[in-house]
Amino acid sequence: MYRRMFAAVGATAILALSACGADTDSAADDATTAPSTSAGAPMASASPSMMSAQFGPGCSAVPTDPANPGSFDAMAKVPVATAASGNPVLSTLVTAVKKANLVDSLNTAQGVTVFAPTNDAFGKIPKADLDKVLADDAMLKKVLTYHVVPGQLSPETLAGTHETLQGADLTVTGSGSSFTVNGTSMVVCGNVSTANATVYLVDTVLMPKS
Amino acid sequence: MTTAIGPRPAHGRPGPPPSIGLRAVVVGLLTAGTAVAVAHLAAGVLNPAADPVLAVGAAAIDLAPQPVKAFAIRTFGTADKLVLVAAVHVALAAASVIIGAAALRRRRYGVIGLAAFTVIGVVAVLTRPTAVAVDATPTIAGAVAGLLAMLALVRSAGTVAVSPTGRPRLLNRRQFLATSGATALNAAAAAATGQALGVNRGVGTRSRATVRIPAPASPAPPLPASVRADVDGVSPFHTTNRDFYRVDTALTVPQVDVDRWRLTLGGAVRRPRSWRFEELLARELIERDITLNCVSNEVGGPYIGTARWTGVPLAPLLREAGLEVGPDQLVSRSVDGMTIGTPLRAVLDGRDAMLVVAMNGEPLPLEHGFPVRMLVPGLYGYVGACKWLTELEVTTFAAYDAYWVRRGWAADAPVKTASRVDTPRPFARRPAGLVTIAGVAWAQRRGISAVEIQVDDEPWRQARLADGPSPDLWRQWSYRWDATPGSHTIRVRATDAAEATQTEERAAPFPSGATGWHNVTVTIT
Repeated sequence: MYRRMFAAVGATAILALSACGADTDSAADDATTAPSTSAGAPMASASPSMMSAQFGPGCSAVPTDPANPGSFDAMAKVPVATAASGNPVLSTLVTAVKKANLVDSLNTAQGVTVFAPTNDAFGKIPKADLDKVLADDAMLKKVLTYHVVPGQLSPETLAGTHETLQGADLTVTGSGSSFTVNGTSMVVCGNVSTANATVYLVDTVLMPKS
Repeated sequence: MTTAIGPRPAHGRPGPPPSIGLRAVVVGLLTAGTAVAVAHLAAGVLNPAADPVLAVGAAAIDLAPQPVKAFAIRTFGTADKLVLVAAVHVALAAASVIIGAAALRRRRYGVIGLAAFTVIGVVAVLTRPTAVAVDATPTIAGAVAGLLAMLALVRSAGTVAVSPTGRPRLLNRRQFLATSGATALNAAAAAATGQALGVNRGVGTRSRATVRIPAPASPAPPLPASVRADVDGVSPFHTTNRDFYRVDTALTVPQVDVDRWRLTLGGAVRRPRSWRFEELLARELIERDITLNCVSNEVGGPYIGTARWTGVPLAPLLREAGLEVGPDQLVSRSVDGMTIGTPLRAVLDGRDAMLVVAMNGEPLPLEHGFPVRMLVPGLYGYVGACKWLTELEVTTFAAYDAYWVRRGWAADAPVKTASRVDTPRPFARRPAGLVTIAGVAWAQRRGISAVEIQVDDEPWRQARLADGPSPDLWRQWSYRWDATPGSHTIRVRATDAAEATQTEERAAPFPSGATGWHNVTVTIT
């Protein structure tokens, strides 16, 4: 049932995407038979070379059907907040982003890196603490913007200390396909492309030192 | 006469005089033919528009005085470009015979002549509006090939006088014929290959390079400088063709040869007909500044732009064909089978619905629909802006669902009132004090009458509107904000000229366009 619901959402998203083709109306093929292709072209930044480079054990949880909005193919074509909203493992993050009123800002930011805590990451926070953060817009905004770094970091430039949009630094250690943020938060799936951001899924929510 | 220009007369045994005139013709034509063919081949590989013969023709059009152009179009009609290219070839052939004769006399004269024509070709290619330095390559490749052919031909033609036998002409002729034949075959093969490559790879590019758009009978009304808010970071009022959004399902851009292209009009009209591109250009053209956007644009998204469009008014074309009573839909088809359905009423109600032939002063770029796209102000592209247009059909919505309608999108999709903050950018950090917020708002056909800004939970405040001379144009706005330290969310909303304020309610682009107030979060330090 869960799966079917996402398929329905996916179909809607694909339709939404493909209508852009209306302006160029060049889809000789039928969108119903080749949804990923017709949804595919809108974003010039969604180059296949960038998309082929995801890594990490958590990537296997990501849907592979390109028609699914949670798939890498689909995420690469839409801005980051929209992309996240299509991915079932990021639903808590999406709720928080909406609550903090950061959907537009994330979608229209030009070239950022997002460390995206999965639902499991939020699940590690005691419910009372999580509810408290979700209820405090200012606090929520701080926490969320602490997960965003200006510029799109590739795996090669990921390790190091980066100033976040919140203002405080975060530090990434590791190399190859194994990275840890601030010493405790593992990158479980890295280098996921969206239209305007590179995403690293992490297994622990990051907290700015206050 | 032949003796006067015979090669190497110093070796002069008289004998039967070789046919110098014929040899000059052969040497000259084959030299030029090889050069042109190899240039054609290289252009086919590199860039069909970098063909020197085409470039010289195009330059000739540019340099010709208006009465000459008018005469050419009047006299040759739709064949004017064909005549022009043929004329370039004839002129080149005539000159090449002279160069051939000169080469037979002194090799260096031939080289100088060839070099002179190479320079003409290079200059013509590089002065094309879209030229880049590498476009000179085909011309130079052609010149080198022409030079090699000329040297080989002159050598074989020139052995006549040194032959020790009593019948020099036969030996010479055989050798000359062999060299000439081989050269001709090579040139023909190169030309054919170049032609095939050009047809397959860049016929649209090549075709577009030959297109000249006449001055519009109705130029765009002058835009006052006051349409610009004059704030750094606001979208440019006119979007360049390069920056104009291109939302696309196309894996390859259709390549249309304008000489073979036809636009047909059929369906519920009393007099179906078709037009060639030149016939459309011969009609009175209008030029307008119009904002166009994509239905798939999310709130705050980038799929909107403004260009200066030149085109043929669409309503008169339909009325001349005799519209029958009852139809309510105009279906447009592209060369690759895409269909777009437009409410007929929107085309006929007096707005500047047009068949676009030029965008921002140049022929429609390939990726924007060369040679002709539709544009209907006030409608999202997917219901009004078919690219690579080739067919119009008057019908009804009841009888036919266009491509996107079959996929659940709204059949009629007027542009929704919307606004966007362009500056400051999301997550920007600015020092406390005066921060100018600015952006664009649009409600094509209705026009924008007000834009308001809200910071956090403060009251809404009026932004200053730049001028909006046409309801079909977006409108820039700005607001001077006395920013205090902290994290702030800036919201924008617009009101159209009918006093309707855009809705706060969030809607996804599907099925008829996104809604909601755009906001950006910034940090003031």
